[in-house]
Amino acid sequence: MSERLYDISEVANIQPEGEREIELQVGPAHPGSGHMRLKVWVDGDIITKVDADIGFVHRTSEWLSERRQYIKAIPIVERIMLPDTVHANLAYVLALEKLLKIEPPPRANYLRTLAAELNRITSHLYGIGIFGIFLGSSTVYMWAFGDREPFIDLMEMLTGARITNSYIIPGGVRWDMPKGFRERAETTLQYMEKRLEDYNDIWAKNPVVEARTVNVGVVDKNRAIKLGVVGPNLRASGVDYDTRKASPYAAYKDIDFDVPKMDHGDAYDRLLIRIEEIRQSIRIIRQVLKDMPDGKIIADSIYSQLNPVMKKVYETDGWHRVMFPAFFNQIRPPPSESVARVEAGRGEIFFYLKSNGDKYPYRFRWVTPSFRNLPFLTDVAVGYRLADLPAIYGSVDYFPPEADR
Amino acid sequence: MVDESRKLRGNVEGNARALAKAFKYLVEPNRMTLDYPAESMKLGPNYRGFFTVDDKKCIGCSMCEMICPPEAITMVPRIVSPTGETLPAEQGAKQEPGAKAAKKTKRPVVNWGRCIFCYFCFEICPVDAFIRSNVHDLAFYNDADYRPSYEEFLKLPEEPVKNSKKVIPKPDMKRGIKYEPAP
Amino acid sequence: MMGLLPLIIWLIQDLLYLIVFPGLIVALILVIVLIYLERKIAAKVQMRFGPLYVSRKIGGALQSVADLLRFSFQEFIAPNGSDSLAFIMAPGLMFAFALMPLIFIPVGPYYSYLFPSALTILFSVALITVRPIYEIIVGWASDNKFSFIGSLREAFLVISYEIPMFLSVISMLIIYRTLNYMPAVAFQEAHLPGIILNPIAAIVFLIVAIRSTGRFPFDITEADSELVMGLFTEYTALFFGIGMATPYVELYVFSLIFSLLFLGGWSPLPYHATGLIAGLFLPGIVVIIKSFIVMTVLVFLRAVYPRYRVDQAIRAGWERIIYLSIIAVIISILEAMVIW
Repeated sequence: MSERLYDISEVANIQPEGEREIELQVGPAHPGSGHMRLKVWVDGDIITKVDADIGFVHRTSEWLSERRQYIKAIPIVERIMLPDTVHANLAYVLALEKLLKIEPPPRANYLRTLAAELNRITSHLYGIGIFGIFLGSSTVYMWAFGDREPFIDLMEMLTGARITNSYIIPGGVRWDMPKGFRERAETTLQYMEKRLEDYNDIWAKNPVVEARTVNVGVVDKNRAIKLGVVGPNLRASGVDYDTRKASPYAAYKDIDFDVPKMDHGDAYDRLLIRIEEIRQSIRIIRQVLKDMPDGKIIADSIYSQLNPVMKKVYETDGWHRVMFPAFFNQIRPPPSESVARVEAGRGEIFFYLKSNGDKYPYRFRWVTPSFRNLPFLTDVAVGYRLADLPAIYGSVDYFPPEADR
Repeated sequence: MVDESRKLRGNVEGNARALAKAFKYLVEPNRMTLDYPAESMKLGPNYRGFFTVDDKKCIGCSMCEMICPPEAITMVPRIVSPTGETLPAEQGAKQEPGAKAAKKTKRPVVNWGRCIFCYFCFEICPVDAFIRSNVHDLAFYNDADYRPSYEEFLKLPEEPVKNSKKVIPKPDMKRGIKYEPAP
Repeated sequence: MMGLLPLIIWLIQDLLYLIVFPGLIVALILVIVLIYLERKIAAKVQMRFGPLYVSRKIGGALQSVADLLRFSFQEFIAPNGSDSLAFIMAPGLMFAFALMPLIFIPVGPYYSYLFPSALTILFSVALITVRPIYEIIVGWASDNKFSFIGSLREAFLVISYEIPMFLSVISMLIIYRTLNYMPAVAFQEAHLPGIILNPIAAIVFLIVAIRSTGRFPFDITEADSELVMGLFTEYTALFFGIGMATPYVELYVFSLIFSLLFLGGWSPLPYHATGLIAGLFLPGIVVIIKSFIVMTVLVFLRAVYPRYRVDQAIRAGWERIIYLSIIAVIISILEAMVIW
């Protein structure tokens, strides 16, 4: 009584003659894939084809923003780029300020830079942590996410919320630096510098990590430019391009910092460059705290529209809390279009806003860095082994919600 | 395309340093997590937590409803009695003839299931009528509790976790974050 | 009839040895303690608490027991296309064969009556090599490509690391000139512990132990980020618990062999004694404490290393580790000819 009711080859994946490849679904319910599906065709241990199936976390941010007032797009855009909220916020507000033709005062520019660099450190630590867990090192994962905590605490002291700050508004920023912020920031920065040596011992100079990442996912200079990748991945392949130097925004024109660049373009370089960028961010934050000019944190054209109650709040509140003038409810920029580019932690964000005089944007378009880094998963991984796929994925610091918007 | 000049470093030193570093953290652990709910954080005064509105200051202009990004604020009709109390609309319907007419107005109520704590409502309010607290970990047992009535909304929520040791995070050079007991 | 009473006493002592100490029950208790200890050690390095909530007063020590209870009550699901007989039988057989070398590992100068043997080292090391067959069957029987790749990796790795294991044991046998554990411990008590006699063989044996039990950096068959759970992807309930516990039993066996061959066995105590207490209990406790220290060190590696790629591990097995083990054999031959 053991007659099969069906032919086993109909249910099992028996390959017909001549096919050697197995198709693996490194799918959404997989510890090594994030919120997307990678269809990987494997011949033995060598990857022959990768098909990235993204879009699982598409949250229609552009569609939503085109049907809401301009000010309401700030929280939407922040929650799409979650480890990097200040940069998304900054990119949108820069595009909006170009439409409205408002210039923020110098102190607001420095505060924006401060928030952006603190956020860059947390974003790189997030990337290091995810890379660690993809390779199997749970220590680096826990350390990286634990070391974000002092920085998130600083952001909470500055803005009132830990991650989704909504700090930057057209015309300036919403709160000023509270008393005691400089000392706390200096302590945290010294702690981070000490910790970078720990990361060197356990992560960057670990022989297993070197064996997994050296000469894996090599992308040389011309190929990187041709594939169109952005951010630290581009700089690790030898291309010297950083939006903060190429078209400066906020206070970057006045700050002295280096942009790290590496030559080989393999996963090990992409690992090292993020640690170097954290060092440079610490340097920028120290300069910003030292050179911060005094003055208002909101542009005069907006300050003059506040009613007396709001002006009194600005003067008397310890944090110079900026309240919104009534026209923020119905911002109607004159019909024009604007483009803003910002160097986020993972690469360059590109924003395009077009208005036709209405209170909703006519076209709201943004391209995030992770979407541009997708060729790493589809083109660069081919020819390497199956176990190199998490190494390449982790070194690129691909964040699926950001790519899907 | 593989760069042969990337020779792997000597293994013994790398292994020894990694093992030594992990061992150092094993014997002097540096814990950064909180034992919630036995301890819980007391957040700073600037923290954007649950909030309420000052009934006397609110003028019912509905600017908060217009600016709220997730559309969490609803304006409900209220009546300001001649003595200054705010009553629900039904109660104020009974008036003596000839008495001074009560003013019809509106008041905001927040749907906590939708609120994202961006505090745009705080900033757009022309009379600065919102009052903040730093309660952040409130939980509700049913869906209906997310949408309080206006009288429930007026009460500032209290800390949900009783009997927990309150700590304040302070940055520390050696440990990153040190939790000190709150005064 | 006069000979029947000692026979029965011997049989009861043997069953006590096999089932209670240091057989099944001590093995299971050590597995439970070790799983908790691994999580706690990793947590201490990683700036967090580790398991704390289950039994708060004792720092969460009953977490593994709670996990085991939870596994026992889960629903067992077998996929439709899997090979039912192999799917159900293979984890159990794997666990049984992982425990089997304990028959031939004496932890004291105790003479076993059920399995008397003068070749205990040979039998115990040989029985270790039976278990991987069942792991491969486990990977094949689940109808899942990830388990299949996991079992392929296990097959490659087992083949690559068998020769070094046997060479490192043989290099100690050359010095001790015996295939039995008791004379080996006697030699170490008289002269020096094995780890000083031939440190290279000790290192090779430890590396093989790390590979065979799947501790980091050789966590390759259960690679989280590439294969969902490796071999045991399709298993639930108690079979999953067995799959997770078997490497720890294996680790216990390897550490016992390591303590007996390299760390001097029950060394401070005299190498020959009779009776149950002096012959089994006290030396047994010394050996188990030494092997517990070895197990803790091997489990601590979770917090230090990521995992190697499978081809790097295979290449290391055929190149560097074999060279090291051949050097160990040469050192042993020189020592045996010249010194002892």
